[in-house]
Amino acid sequence: MSALAVAKKDFRDAAQSRALWALLAVFVLLSSLLSYAYAEFPAEVVGSGTDGASVGGLIFFTSGIVTLFVSLTAIVVCYKSIAGEREIGSIKLLLALPHSRRDVFLGKLLGRGAVLSAALAVGLLIGFGLGFGLIGDFDLVPVLVFLVLTLVFAVTFVGIVVSISATTGSTSRATTLSIGFFLLFELLWDAVATGIFYVANGFSFAGDAPDWYFLVTQIPPSSAYTASLITLLPETADAVGIGVGADQFDAFYATTSIGFVFLVFWLVVPLAVGYRRFNDADL
Amino acid sequence: MAAIELDGLTKRFGDVLAVDDLDLTVEEGEIFGFLGPNGAGKSTTIDILLDFVRPTDGTARVLGYDAQKESLQVRQRIGVLPDAYHVYDRLTGRQHMEFVVESKGADADIEAIMERVQILEAADRKAGGYSKGMRQRLILAMALVGDPDLLILDEPSTGLDPNGAREMREIIQAENDRGTTVFFSSHIMEQVEAVCDRVAIINKGGLVAVDSIEGLRGSTETTTTLRITVSDIDDDDVEMVRAHENVRSVALDGTTLQVTMSGGSKFDILNELDDAGVEVGDFSVDEYSLEDLFVKYTTEQQEVEA
Repeated sequence: MSALAVAKKDFRDAAQSRALWALLAVFVLLSSLLSYAYAEFPAEVVGSGTDGASVGGLIFFTSGIVTLFVSLTAIVVCYKSIAGEREIGSIKLLLALPHSRRDVFLGKLLGRGAVLSAALAVGLLIGFGLGFGLIGDFDLVPVLVFLVLTLVFAVTFVGIVVSISATTGSTSRATTLSIGFFLLFELLWDAVATGIFYVANGFSFAGDAPDWYFLVTQIPPSSAYTASLITLLPETADAVGIGVGADQFDAFYATTSIGFVFLVFWLVVPLAVGYRRFNDADL
Repeated sequence: MAAIELDGLTKRFGDVLAVDDLDLTVEEGEIFGFLGPNGAGKSTTIDILLDFVRPTDGTARVLGYDAQKESLQVRQRIGVLPDAYHVYDRLTGRQHMEFVVESKGADADIEAIMERVQILEAADRKAGGYSKGMRQRLILAMALVGDPDLLILDEPSTGLDPNGAREMREIIQAENDRGTTVFFSSHIMEQVEAVCDRVAIINKGGLVAVDSIEGLRGSTETTTTLRITVSDIDDDDVEMVRAHENVRSVALDGTTLQVTMSGGSKFDILNELDDAGVEVGDFSVDEYSLEDLFVKYTTEQQEVEA
C-alpha cells in the first residue's frame, strides 16, 4: 500500500531529526519525574485525601499531565506535516509519484503518529518502571489499558493537527490554527463552557446547570480521554476517587462512557474534513 | 495515441486567468519545448497534467489517460522534474531513490540510473548538503526510475551553470533516443532551440505559436512585418492584401495596417494599395530573429491574427 511507503519515508525523515530525539528525552524525563514525585510525595502532589501511593494513583496522576503534554507535542510534531511540504514544494516530489492524496494524507498520519507514539511509549514505560520500583507494587492490566488508551489519544491528536495542516499551504496559518485549537479546547474550555451556560441561561448563572451542560464539558479531546479511561478502569478510578461529575446530572448520557463518543468524534471528523480540504485543493 | 493532449484547457485563480482555452497535442517520441515568460501559465499547465491543480474547464490527457480522473495511472508512467521542488534535506540521495522505486513498484537499478546522471558518488550523502546542480540531477535520476514513457521537466535548466545546462540537454537527448517523449518548459529560447523537435510558445495563458524549430526559424528569417499608416481604407482593400500570395496575415488597427509576409516584395503591397485608392502615409519594416520573435510574442499583446 502506497500510504505505507509515504509513512516510512516520513518516519525515516523524522528519525533523522534532532527534534525527535529531544522529544524522546523530554518524555522519558517528564514521565520519570512524575513517577518520582508521585511515589515519594503522594500527599503533596495529589492532595491529602490519598492513603499512600498506588499503581492506580500513579496512572491517573500521570494521565492528567500527559494530555497536556501529548497535545502540545502533537502540535510541534505535526503542524508542518502537510502545510510545510506544500509551502516549500517537497509535496510536488511526493505527488509526482503514483501516490493518491489519500495515501499521502494517511501516510503522514501514520508516520507522525508512529513518531509520537514511539516516543510516548518509551517515555511512559521507563517512567512507570521507575514508579513501580519506588512504590513496590505492580499491576499489569490497568497499566496496559492506560498505555493503549493514551496512544489512542496521541493518535487522535496527531490526526487533529495533521488535518489542520492539510487545510492550508501556509505553515504560519497551520501554526495559528493548531495553537488556536489548543487554546480553545484544552486551556480555555472551562471558561467557554461556563460562557455557553451563561448565555443559554438568559445571561445569568442562577439555578442548576441543565443536563446538556454535561455534554458541553465533555467535548475537549482530553476530557473524552479522561472519561474513557475512567470507564475502562472503574475500580481503579473509584479507589483513587476520580470522576467527571456525571452524577450531578440525570440524563441517560450523563455517564463516563460518553467519552468514547467524543473520542471517536475527534478521531474521525477532523480527518474527514482535513482530507476533503486537501483532496480538493490546488497545490 | 498522443503523449499529451490538451483540449480547451482553462484555469482561473480568482480573477486571474492563468491558462486560457489551451489546445495542444504532443506526439509520442518527440522532444517538445514549452516556451513562455515567467507567469505565462507554463507551470500551471504542467501542474494540471500532474493533478496538482484542477482545471476550471477543458480536459488534459496524458498517455491516453485523463490527467484528473486517472492521475495515478499517469504518474505511474511518467517521470517528473517539478518546478520549485524541494528535496528532503535529511535523507540521502540513495534513500530518495529507494523511496521512488518503492512508490512506483519499479524494478530499477538505482546505481545505474544515478551513474547515468552522474550523481552516484554523492549517493550516500544527505541531500540537504547537495549543490543546486546536484539536487537537479538527483531529481532527474528520480524521474528516470521505472523507464517512464514521458518525461515532464519544468524549467530543468534553472539554477544550472552553462556546463550543467548543456549536460542536462545531453541527458534529455539520450533519454529521447531511448524512446522517451520529453516535454519541457523554459523561459529561455536558446535552451529549447538546441534540443527540441517542436516548440509551443505561450503567453498570458494562451497559445501563440506551435511549430518546429525549423518552421519557426524559416518563417522568422524571411518574415517581414510592414506597418503602414493608411487612410480611406475599407474591408475590400484589406481582403485584397490578405489574398496576396506572400502575405501571411493582415490586421487593421485604426489607421495602421500591419502586414506580415514571407518573401515577395513589400512594394507590391504598397503599390496595390495605392492603385486601390488607399492613401499610404508612413511605413516601417520589421524583421525578426528567433529570439526577437519570442520576445515579440511574449511581451506584446499579439496584434497579428492569421
